Amino acid sequence: MVERLLITKGRLGLHARAAAKLVRVVSGFESQVLLRRADGGVTADAKSILSVLMLAANQGTELHATADGADEEQAMNAIEEFFAAGFGELEPGTSL
Amino acid sequence: MSQPPDEIRCQGLGVSEGIVIGQVLRMHPGTEQVYHWKIKPAEVETELERFRTAVAQAASQVRSLRQQAEERFGKDHAYIFDAHQLLLEDEKLIGDIESYITAERVNAEWAIKVIGDRILYLYSQIKDDYLRERRSDVEDVMQRILDALSGVSRKNHQLSEDAIIVAQDLLPSAVADLDLEHARALATDSGGWTSHTAILARGIGMPAVIGLRDFYRRAKTGDTIIVDSKRNQVILHPSAATLKAYEAETAAQAKVRLRSDRKHRGPVCTADGVAVTLRANVEVPFEFDWVEFYGASGVGLYRSEFLLAPRGGFVSEDEQCRAYEAIARVAGKDGAVIRLFDLGGDNLREQFQEPEKNPALGLRAIRFVLAHEEIMRAQVRAIMRAAASGVLKIVLPMVADSSDVQRAKSIIEEEAGKLRAAGEKFAEVSIGAMIEVPSAVLMADSIARLVDFFELGTNDLVQYTLAVDRGNDAVADWFHTLHPAVLRSIDQSLRAAERAGIPAIVCGEMASTPAYVVLLVGLGATDLSMTPAAIPRVRRAIAGINASEAKAIVDECLRCDTAEAVESLVRERFIERWPQLFDASSLPKPKPPE
Repeated sequence: MVERLLITKGRLGLHARAAAKLVRVVSGFESQVLLRRADGGVTADAKSILSVLMLAANQGTELHATADGADEEQAMNAIEEFFAAGFGELEPGTSL
Repeated sequence: MSQPPDEIRCQGLGVSEGIVIGQVLRMHPGTEQVYHWKIKPAEVETELERFRTAVAQAASQVRSLRQQAEERFGKDHAYIFDAHQLLLEDEKLIGDIESYITAERVNAEWAIKVIGDRILYLYSQIKDDYLRERRSDVEDVMQRILDALSGVSRKNHQLSEDAIIVAQDLLPSAVADLDLEHARALATDSGGWTSHTAILARGIGMPAVIGLRDFYRRAKTGDTIIVDSKRNQVILHPSAATLKAYEAETAAQAKVRLRSDRKHRGPVCTADGVAVTLRANVEVPFEFDWVEFYGASGVGLYRSEFLLAPRGGFVSEDEQCRAYEAIARVAGKDGAVIRLFDLGGDNLREQFQEPEKNPALGLRAIRFVLAHEEIMRAQVRAIMRAAASGVLKIVLPMVADSSDVQRAKSIIEEEAGKLRAAGEKFAEVSIGAMIEVPSAVLMADSIARLVDFFELGTNDLVQYTLAVDRGNDAVADWFHTLHPAVLRSIDQSLRAAERAGIPAIVCGEMASTPAYVVLLVGLGATDLSMTPAAIPRVRRAIAGINASEAKAIVDECLRCDTAEAVESLVRERFIERWPQLFDASSLPKPKPPE
């Protein structure tokens, strides 16, 4: 199992489109991926859009991500990249 | 004779501009009652199968809706249905419903209702406005499965000519499904500025007032109704006096009906030979075809902020570049004027900055992009790259004076330098300034020396010149498009452009209203940009007048002391000179007593 701390960067947080993208990214892997709010709130299955939206992760939310399975490393790298890229959307103040 | 029902006025939130008089068409959200029954253990498997079939059916509907939405509204809006598709595939959602059916031995409808309500409750606890509003997506998906279960497919409603959709809540898919040829406006009990219904209504330019609370139950299909987005209200059973006042007001905006005029394209000449260029304002891909359809000379104003999926974040430079290339293709040799993101103020404010006390006078338009330089740099790079394969121009929104222009220009020049150094394919573009605040009018000469063209944004110019909010009913008596101060501002700006030898495009509501257009031509405007559907009527008005006569009338107007004096002068002179073009209903009227 691998674990990382991720920060929601986008000003809009994990909004509907970003959440949809995340689910698509994660669903490409076999491993189970969980996102847990670092402030002790909800835990979400990253393959479920409903559950991801329920995290209500707005800007600056810290999330503990865990991946467990055969391709856990690759899955985690993909997620980390997705978060680092600001969900593939240009945000004010980030370099382009 | 029976007494006509009393007039009912309901306040809401106007989310998409316009005033429409029409007939109510009530839209049911679908199955309103969900029944509960127990099933035998032996029937569980059949019930699960029934549920799965309904989910599969719903999924296939969403796929075709998604495609339809993409064609109609563009990719940015179709993503709503991407989320719906994922919800229908969601292990947690679908799995929870299936477990409930199995464990409680109940019908699928009831299980959907119970699980759905639990989720909606959790959503209602979310503090973030935008994320919380996503509950409508869950409701939409639940309703779709319920419909599939009952064998009812949500099909296109057959609408009469002037149907105004009244609903408790219009789910996003219902908006995408609307018959746009006939539906004229929307009025709903719930929803907010960022609801998908509001976003889509704005995208297709359909007037909408939402958040009316308990309007739906009062309206009956066939009732007369006025939707007035400008004053954030709807009026049911309007009295004869109200109706008359509104008919006068809507006459000036005329009917927006698809009417192509294949014979007439390109510039139009007045009877005495002054050529006037007619351009199109466009926002969403939905409108792109109309540039050609109505014979516009390219795109006079592309409001680029519509590229940003509302509250959905920024689009990348490459994505922007492709969008601008598409606009350039639509615009052809006449080119397209891209207005830099006009953000801040009332649109999209909440996601970027703390609410301002006075957004209209706050960090918006050019000020906003200068404060968020990276956004501007990416945008101008995208425009210049796209200009390699088409004719594009940049216009700077809401400049106050030449220093705003200087700063913007040096950023654009720097980015051009970087593109050149990187060996990228690009083209330098002309740069214009929007003249829409009084300081820009007063400093027009010095601004004109720095730019390649002017663009007069008359909507903002009227509001800022008169310091009157057009949406505020309390000051409606002070809102006069034909105020001499407005006419003088336009006159001064056009003179400054003339002295500097640069062209000036006039856009905004004035440029799309025939009576106002005559005055603009009288002031010497020869380049107008308007909503595409207005082009035929503006063309007809210009072809029917002499510019010299229009000038004589406007010269008189410029000497008037009050808006009322201008308005009555216009009524008198227009009917006298061009009775075939104007009658009392197409001219500004004195405000009727409320």
